[in-house]
Amino acid sequence: MFQCKDVAEEASNYLEGDLPLRKRIGLFLHLVICSCCRNYLQQIRQTINTIATIHPTEEHQTDTKALAEKLRALSDSESR
Amino acid sequence: MKKKVKLSPADEQSLIKQLINGDAKAFDYVVSQYHGLMLTVARAIVGEAFADEIVQDAWLSAIKALPNFEGRSSLKTWLLQITSNGAKTRFKREQRQVSLDDGWESVSHDKFDERGHRLDDVLPWDEDTPDALLENEQLRIIIETSFRQLPANQRAMLTMYDMEGLDMSEICNILDISSSNARVLLHRARTTLHHKIEEYRGL
Repeated sequence: MFQCKDVAEEASNYLEGDLPLRKRIGLFLHLVICSCCRNYLQQIRQTINTIATIHPTEEHQTDTKALAEKLRALSDSESR
Repeated sequence: MKKKVKLSPADEQSLIKQLINGDAKAFDYVVSQYHGLMLTVARAIVGEAFADEIVQDAWLSAIKALPNFEGRSSLKTWLLQITSNGAKTRFKREQRQVSLDDGWESVSHDKFDERGHRLDDVLPWDEDTPDALLENEQLRIIIETSFRQLPANQRAMLTMYDMEGLDMSEICNILDISSSNARVLLHRARTTLHHKIEEYRGL
């Protein structure tokens, strides 16, 4: 029998459809009777959508303009 | 669940032609779009110390090889693969050990009773859409900061899967990890950010 703790551990796999059938059914049956876990899964979905919308980026100190120019110059000299 | 961010094949072909022709705007575009992503991959494989150097080398290799790019994968995946190859070679030289066995737990054990049931109610969040969540500037800063504090391999997984829409098999190949490890990293990253949002809402 699935417990809340199992739902917390398998939430991503469940949302991605990566659980084997037996586990998927077990988790689904738990969700039918447990509003906490339904809310938890909904929060994880919202978290994923929020991350995709914010699209946080990797922190770096590179001057991308200068790098682009350096690469363009390299490409130019390679093609001659 | 994931958000697809892909150039159409026609747009990509045109972008590659512009790069080969030395178009400055095209270079600005690819560097601004992909440099951070390439750094994420390099940091995940080999760590912070060598990542910048590996990505610089990957750019140079990619630009030299660009006229021979056959389009079997997207430009993004190709750049990440070149970065990954460089990082893996460096990693083998450095022999850094990485372990997933670090006592991580998806939700703190003290939130469950001895039978694994939740002790407290989990209530739905009021805001239904990410946009509503994002109207809150403070929350946006918390998410961005928490993202940057994630371990590099979790950050790479979350970025490539949830933000860039790469396939799981491509990501496993790039990061050189099994699909079960990839799923663990993805779930840990999502759960950490979920905790941060939850903590903020509980204040």
